[in-house]
Amino acid sequence: MTALGENPARPARGRRLRERLGDVDRRVIFLAVGLAVALPLIFPLRLPVAVSREARAYYDALEQLKPGDEILVSFDYEPETMAELDPMSLATLRHAFRKDLRVIALTNYPGAPGIAQRILGAAAAEAHKEYGVDYVFLGYNPDYSATMLRMGESIRQTFPTDHFGTPADSLPLLRQANSYADTELLVAISSTVMAEYWIIFAGGTFKEKVISANTAIQAVLIYPYFQTGQLSGFLGGLKGAAEYEKLIGREGDGLRGMDAQSMAHLLIVCFIVLGNIGFLLGRRERGREGPGRGPAQATGA
Amino acid sequence: MWSDVGVWVAAILTIAVFSLLYRDNPFYRAAEHLLVGVSAGYYLVNNYEASVVRKFVVPVFHQGDLWLVPGGILGLLVLLRLSRRAQWISRYPIAFYVAAWSGYLIPSVLQERILTQIQGTIPPAPWNAAPGALLGALVLFVGVVSILVYFYFSAPHTGILGGVSRVGIVFLMIGFGATFGYTVMGRVSLLIGRFQFLLRDLPASLTGP
Repeated sequence: MTALGENPARPARGRRLRERLGDVDRRVIFLAVGLAVALPLIFPLRLPVAVSREARAYYDALEQLKPGDEILVSFDYEPETMAELDPMSLATLRHAFRKDLRVIALTNYPGAPGIAQRILGAAAAEAHKEYGVDYVFLGYNPDYSATMLRMGESIRQTFPTDHFGTPADSLPLLRQANSYADTELLVAISSTVMAEYWIIFAGGTFKEKVISANTAIQAVLIYPYFQTGQLSGFLGGLKGAAEYEKLIGREGDGLRGMDAQSMAHLLIVCFIVLGNIGFLLGRRERGREGPGRGPAQATGA
Repeated sequence: MWSDVGVWVAAILTIAVFSLLYRDNPFYRAAEHLLVGVSAGYYLVNNYEASVVRKFVVPVFHQGDLWLVPGGILGLLVLLRLSRRAQWISRYPIAFYVAAWSGYLIPSVLQERILTQIQGTIPPAPWNAAPGALLGALVLFVGVVSILVYFYFSAPHTGILGGVSRVGIVFLMIGFGATFGYTVMGRVSLLIGRFQFLLRDLPASLTGP
């Protein structure tokens, strides 16, 4: 039944549109997202990347250090977040080695030593750095909180040997740097709350300057620490990696992935708009038909 | 040669996992079971080596560091949870662990997560701040206060309280929206990582260095 003067075909057309919007096969959405990601990787668009205040602060924290300064780098992530954090790790180490900083690397996750070894090895080989003098890898130590607190007293006692079983006392870098007091900066590359614990224990208890590279999901939780100054800078997700790569002037997987990221986001925004149009059309239609429809019917499922 | 085999295994497993997007199938389930089995084995061996061997066996039996023996005994007592008759003993090492953990965690977390964050809600001398920073500080203050009012349940949310709590809901929704946006970004990044692997590393292993 239609109101006087209203075209009877219009509600039917509206219903058809709503049904179409509501009944899109999820595989079509997967395929569209897949294409939105794959095509820009094959045919790069070179979309511009703007640098945020947080990424600039992360870059500045490393850039301000002098050659020969020691920094701690904690690889606190495992294979499931490599896509986001590997580009940040590699860019950070490239930046550090270019500045002739000396890197003491470690991890708080048992699944991370392979990742850390690979990234450290690649960055050190590029910069012709010597193991034990320019960088060391301490490996994994169980119980992150005890590790973080004890490192404030003695790194050599916390890690009597490095990841490869070499005694810490025999490594020149560790003979010079034995606690937070001997290092200028701590870089927490983290996929979990581990960055927060570095802020709490190394930053809060021992007053170590902390910056962090985080997954996008963690970035939301880490923002308040940057606002209060407890964190001197941070990178959030692949976008953060791209911004940092732009700052150090070295393209990596972060910048290369930004076109795909932007296209996928654009597509998802379109899906959200279309989904909401379908929802609003359905609600208007239910309003026309009046009360009496149950919630299950009313959802249009 | 072996790295190429690794790339191929990874590519086949990636495609097997992606096949779930079409529908559930044996290839996806095989990849899933393989992941669970390999992960369990890897973590078991790695944790045993890092915790038991490097932190207890080597220092005690090779270096004579007997101070670690009481800790080792407490650790072994935790395993008595597996015995129905003696499981009460396992509560003592757990109580010790919880007490020690709380002792050194609570003061630090309270200071850095609560007190410093409260201090950061109002910047020092906000009247000297630039207009943009002042506006940001004002938004932050209103957001924190209105959300706290929204979570105050000891009075009905009517009148001024109701109005302020509705402002709190708006801030909460903005927060949820930001979290959702970042989550989407994170998930898309993971997909980009897999596509970069399939479109770059896999062809590279075919063509060689």
